Amino acid sequence: MQILFFGATAQATGEREIEIDLAERAKASDAFEQILKQFPQLKQHSLLFAVNQEYAAGDETIQNGDELAIFTAVSGG
Amino acid sequence: MINDFYELTTQPLDVGAIARRVCLPECGATVTLDGYVRQFTKGRETLYLVYEAYEPMALGEMEKLGAQARERFEIARVGIVHRLGKLEIGETSIVISVSAPHRRAAFEACEWLIKELKRTVPIWKKEVYKGGETWIEGKSEPPAATGG
Repeated sequence: MQILFFGATAQATGEREIEIDLAERAKASDAFEQILKQFPQLKQHSLLFAVNQEYAAGDETIQNGDELAIFTAVSGG
Repeated sequence: MINDFYELTTQPLDVGAIARRVCLPECGATVTLDGYVRQFTKGRETLYLVYEAYEPMALGEMEKLGAQARERFEIARVGIVHRLGKLEIGETSIVISVSAPHRRAAFEACEWLIKELKRTVPIWKKEVYKGGETWIEGKSEPPAATGG
């Protein structure tokens, strides 16, 4: 599964995009926990998550091929 | 939803040209926000900004805002263009243009759109200032948690 980082999360992880493996019928929150384990430095930030380019609450079921993104509260404009 | 437009570009923005794209014969007013890079914020001097977006999601969220604005306000056409990449002081980072038969709805929709854009559209700015740089993190609650 593809995980995308932007701005502060890309800087904190040193990555823009990584691949992770998940069990079948995993929830989005399982993926996020796995990412936080891999990059504990992300816990210093207030994070938002998206699944397939929609804001996600965490209880969504996800599967390989989905696109997840982890980023900080937005600051455009 | 006729000819609304939502765009991201690294090219300089031509505010007047964008504003003219929302003009319609049944309209009497266009309100345009020209948001540009400020030199001083809370006493700190900014040298320049770098904007980055989660582009497909940002365009999707901008489109949703336009649709919601149409439900809330009596407006005719919406255009939102956000610039990405490095921007110098005074350069325009965002243009929001809203046309309407009557000006009040256009003013209200434009103000609502920038407020919501700053809360929901996945774009971030890195501020480079004298002596350092930092990705600016918004203060808003996660949109999913607030029903946005």
